[in-house]
Amino acid sequence: MSAAAGQLSELGHTRVQSARAGAQQSRWSHMLYVAPFLFLYVTLLVYPLFAGFWLSLHKADFFGGSRFVGLENFVRLSNDKVFIGAVGNTFYFILLTVPALAIIGLGLALALNRTTRTAAFLRGVFFSSSVLSVTIVTLLWKVVFAPDGGFLANLFEAFGKQPVAFLSDADLALPAIAITTIWWCIGLPMMLFLAALQQVPRELYEAAALDNAGRWKTLWNVTLPSIRRTFALVVIIEVVLQFQLFGQAYLMTQGGPNNASRPLVLFIFEVGFTRWDVGYAVAAGQILFGLIAIAAMAQYFVARRKEAF
Amino acid sequence: MRRLLATLLGCVVLASCGVRQAPNEIVVQRFFGTCKAEYGNRTDVGNAEGECGIMTTLINEFSAQNPDVKVRVSPVAWPGYNQLAAQLASGDPPDLVTMHLSAISDYQSRKLLEPLGNELRAVGVDPNGFTAASLASVSKQGEIYGLPIDNWAPLWHINMNYFRQAGLVKDGKPILPRSPAELLAHARQFKQATGKPYLVQALANERAAYSRNLYTLLMQQGFDFFADPQRVKLQSPEVKQVLEMFRQIYVEDLTTKNQDYAAATNGFINGAGGVYLVGTWMIGDFDAESRKADRPLSNGYSVMPWPQLYGRDATFIDGHAWVMPAKERTPQQRDAIFRFLKFFADNDFEWSRTGHLPAYQAVIESERFNALPHRSQIAKISSTGAPLPSAVQRQFPVQDIIGEEMAAAITGHKSVDAALADAEHRVNDLLFHLL
Repeated sequence: MSAAAGQLSELGHTRVQSARAGAQQSRWSHMLYVAPFLFLYVTLLVYPLFAGFWLSLHKADFFGGSRFVGLENFVRLSNDKVFIGAVGNTFYFILLTVPALAIIGLGLALALNRTTRTAAFLRGVFFSSSVLSVTIVTLLWKVVFAPDGGFLANLFEAFGKQPVAFLSDADLALPAIAITTIWWCIGLPMMLFLAALQQVPRELYEAAALDNAGRWKTLWNVTLPSIRRTFALVVIIEVVLQFQLFGQAYLMTQGGPNNASRPLVLFIFEVGFTRWDVGYAVAAGQILFGLIAIAAMAQYFVARRKEAF
Repeated sequence: MRRLLATLLGCVVLASCGVRQAPNEIVVQRFFGTCKAEYGNRTDVGNAEGECGIMTTLINEFSAQNPDVKVRVSPVAWPGYNQLAAQLASGDPPDLVTMHLSAISDYQSRKLLEPLGNELRAVGVDPNGFTAASLASVSKQGEIYGLPIDNWAPLWHINMNYFRQAGLVKDGKPILPRSPAELLAHARQFKQATGKPYLVQALANERAAYSRNLYTLLMQQGFDFFADPQRVKLQSPEVKQVLEMFRQIYVEDLTTKNQDYAAATNGFINGAGGVYLVGTWMIGDFDAESRKADRPLSNGYSVMPWPQLYGRDATFIDGHAWVMPAKERTPQQRDAIFRFLKFFADNDFEWSRTGHLPAYQAVIESERFNALPHRSQIAKISSTGAPLPSAVQRQFPVQDIIGEEMAAAITGHKSVDAALADAEHRVNDLLFHLL
């Protein structure tokens, strides 16, 4: 290699180095743009997450007292019949509500995905329950389920049947809460599906019509594949939301009868706020967090795998 | 840059702005409901009815008499302890709070309440004038930690019209059972004569009522289920026979079923059954109902303490008190607080019109208290009533656990033995793990 070529190579190397340094500088300065978000994210989410886990290893109350107990709270939870019942109730509740919310929400969206005034009015009607507070919703449905003079009791009596005490029956209390929840929460899935349906290209329907595809064939082969990502999104959102069931059970049954309708969040609330056993409540909270994370991730991966195919 | 600094400064100022109390302002947090539409700014205490009405007019009257004191009232949903715990944890508690006598131990043991004794005496409130049960409940480690305003107890509210129909009235007084067997016999006789259940009970969405009835019947048996304040003993024949009695009543349809508190209260008013098992606070409402014409309770309402089904004359009682959470206060605020407490001590008779028993011996013995409807029938509870030992902590959650397990046994969701074993285990686990 000649001297001139060596100089050129050195010059080139220096330029590359300075360009790399400039790019690096530039990348670090870009961090400033996300710094406020990162600060809030770490302060409000990451730190509480780890602080919560640390607290779950303590016997603690609200007022500053705490003692390290290692994994004792988790061992207690594994032997706590009420907690195990609450976990079972929570999964059962999800099974009762999430498929129903997804299917009914999709059905309503398909039926109301039109530009008529009636459809617009009905969209408003079906969404309106979502704006009510949990207090109003549970009050309303307690009247529906009341065995003395409630709406359903009157209906049963009109058909010569004995009224059923839905909220006092261990087998019916959680389904009754599920019905209340579906009525209350149906607005969001319906709106998400409506938004997705309006994104499906018209050309696909035109092509299907040219191929003489019927209504069902179009639904199965055009509409549903086009909104599968929204379907996965609705299921994930609803699983996460329904894991957090609290107000309806607290106000309608207080978790009874015989622990048949106590969800995990109500268990955490009772243990933390009523008994002041905060470390124990936070340990239960960690398990709830883990369950929600696992369920959401599982949904996400299943949806991605299907997409890959 | 200047604009940025000004914005940052504005944010800091906004963040530091809390709702600050004026030096003469006291925050009073209470339950007993809200009734602003009816009582708003009314000060005619003598004409007020019910817990909410009397409480509201008393506070209004205090404010009218003490214009230099600003009272900010914060009504909370019963019993309000979750909110109070959060306020105490965040270092922003109110100045005065209504608290059940049974809950004081929890807060006092964590040094969250201030002792009141010396300052109460200084304003002329002598704790020796409290009833024995009230004094015992607010006394902790030789100090006074609350101003009691009443005692309450579970009672038998009786529809005398149905009792007459069932032949259970003698000399104008209801015939009450003297043993569990007699109670069942009366209940069957009542149902046969009237077609109605003997008992009206809030059995759905309810826990406390079950426990209060159980405590009463265990006290009547002289069974010390909290001999050790950190361990409850529920797996015993004494407890079992009480649960079996209630279970039998349920099985034979001798009680109303599936009603929550509101439904049971309305049910009793509308003639659903003979005896409503509920506390002192309903006396005023039911008495008013009995004065209306053509109602199931018209001229036919009486109220009695729990009948003596066993040897001892005893009833479980609790009560309400004003307590002062620990925090820094101005001298003006302390002065205002003790004037407020003195005012409530002086007006305990007015509060007793709610149906609750007065917290002061002199008021219980007064002619005007005994002249109130039905009070002479229940006044003895102030001497026969007993709370749980004050060393028992977390009495509210304990009551909830026992009530929940009792409900499961009585309504047939689990056996009596299983319910008692579960209740005992859950309560002892809770008490064992106290910090």
